[in-house]
Amino acid sequence: MIEERFKSVLIWIGCVFIAVFCLTPFLYMIVISLSSSPDFLTKLGEIEFSFKNYYSVLTSKSLHFVDYLRNSIIISGVSAFFCIIIAGLAAYSITRLDLPGKMLILFFVLAVSMFPQISLVGYLFKFMSSLGWINTYFALIFPYIAWILPLSLWILVSYFAQIPKDLDKAALIDGCTRWQILLKVIFPVAAPGIFSVSLLSFIFAFNEFMFALMLTIDYRSRTIPVGIALFQGLHGEIPWGNIMAGSTIVVIPVVLLTIIFQRYIIQGLTRGSIKG
Amino acid sequence: MSYRTFSEAKQSYTFILPLIIFILAFILLPVVGTFINSFFRDISFLQRKFIMFGNYKQLFNDPGFYGAIRFTILFIVVSVTIEIILGLIFALILNETIPFRGFLRACVLLPWAIPSAISARLWELIYNYNYGLANFICIKSGISTGPINWLGSSVGAFFGLVIADVWKTTPFVTIILLAGLSAIPTELYLQAKVDGTNSLQRFYKITMPLLKPVLVVALLFRTIDALRIFDLIYVLTHGGPGGATTSLSLYAYKYYLAGDFGYGSAVSVILFVISFTLSIIYIKLARFGESGI
Repeated sequence: MIEERFKSVLIWIGCVFIAVFCLTPFLYMIVISLSSSPDFLTKLGEIEFSFKNYYSVLTSKSLHFVDYLRNSIIISGVSAFFCIIIAGLAAYSITRLDLPGKMLILFFVLAVSMFPQISLVGYLFKFMSSLGWINTYFALIFPYIAWILPLSLWILVSYFAQIPKDLDKAALIDGCTRWQILLKVIFPVAAPGIFSVSLLSFIFAFNEFMFALMLTIDYRSRTIPVGIALFQGLHGEIPWGNIMAGSTIVVIPVVLLTIIFQRYIIQGLTRGSIKG
Repeated sequence: MSYRTFSEAKQSYTFILPLIIFILAFILLPVVGTFINSFFRDISFLQRKFIMFGNYKQLFNDPGFYGAIRFTILFIVVSVTIEIILGLIFALILNETIPFRGFLRACVLLPWAIPSAISARLWELIYNYNYGLANFICIKSGISTGPINWLGSSVGAFFGLVIADVWKTTPFVTIILLAGLSAIPTELYLQAKVDGTNSLQRFYKITMPLLKPVLVVALLFRTIDALRIFDLIYVLTHGGPGGATTSLSLYAYKYYLAGDFGYGSAVSVILFVISFTLSIIYIKLARFGESGI
């Protein structure tokens, strides 16, 4: 079968291409982060490997890398946590409690998720200024929760809808309140869904850029994406080694999470954007 | 549900209330605020003044605004086209039984998962004129005789952005299309094989027609997303050189940054209206209502 053989060769080439296409920039990043100067390509053969960049990124007080990282983790973690609770309650209400106008709410939320961020950020800036929240965690946590809710709601609704309603009835007869049902029956049964929503919410909040750029001022609340985007050396030069070392430190946990939990991420993503 | 009571309905409202409050307060209210603001002259340190369509009139005579529209449309057309084609090829490959399938799927997810500000910084280094990877590859492979001025020329900056965006978002398209592909029953292909068709015929007669709805959804979703592009451009080119790569979001942002909230809001409102129209089409086409929740 010439056709079959031809096809398998094409697929094989395709696989190599996918791996090279996706991974090359990451490998480049790691190599630069480990070399003492960013121009190693022009003088191949005399590469000098060192952990100097990692050391300075993690210890230098003036770079504030550790501050940015801490801010990012706290802000994304808190946002994702509250997002799960709020979206969980709403998804429960939509799938089980016979909420009037539930389809309307779902479509409304879906439309909201496609709003361009720029159409919020000018007003948010004024709003947060008037509250005195600029450059605090609150300035980001509240908009982040609202911003991630639509995706979380859609994914959770699709998970909750699959859980048989008899479970609720049995629990109701046993004298559970709706709260108890949600926490003790639905959440455990929908654990994979809860998990993939948590992961996606965290990634979305962690990666967000425009709100963080507009609503924070310095290391006290600035997040990693903005911090790395605005990274500058003491003398105005671009400290590529430090930037790549910082990026690698941020990217490695994300990469590990993605590889380990790819099934959940893919499930969540496909449920959130196309149904059925 | 037959056991619906008054307290049940009340409870259903209490459960959905936090969601509604958050979305109203932090998304809908800001959008309405932006709409209202666009009718005001609202520049820091100046008296706020209602000027009706003043900002919009200025907008329609502003070459910078038309430049931003032109760039945004061109960027969407070029990058989304490439992303859809490449995403389809990737999805077709990953849908086959191949070795290291799990590994490759994870690979595809990686560019999507990292913050775009970080990937933009990475591409900035790749496009470095003197020692970047892009010029190294272009010169060694003979594509170009000398170094290409990626970020300093308007054509270079445009394609630099397109390549970085394709790298970052093709994964998303791949995943969506992969889900569509795996929903096509394998019996169809087996039957067609028995009937003596070749791979190409099966692709055109089975895969494409059945995948078309998912393809349209992916296309619209990517268009809406590309319309609001900001992070990548902000970091990689800052809209330059000479404003050649300023997207609508970045154009509005520059006015906000300069303290001109009225004019920035007017630009945002235009972007909002375009994107909202596309979202409505998307929701209609994706036929979410049929899922039966």
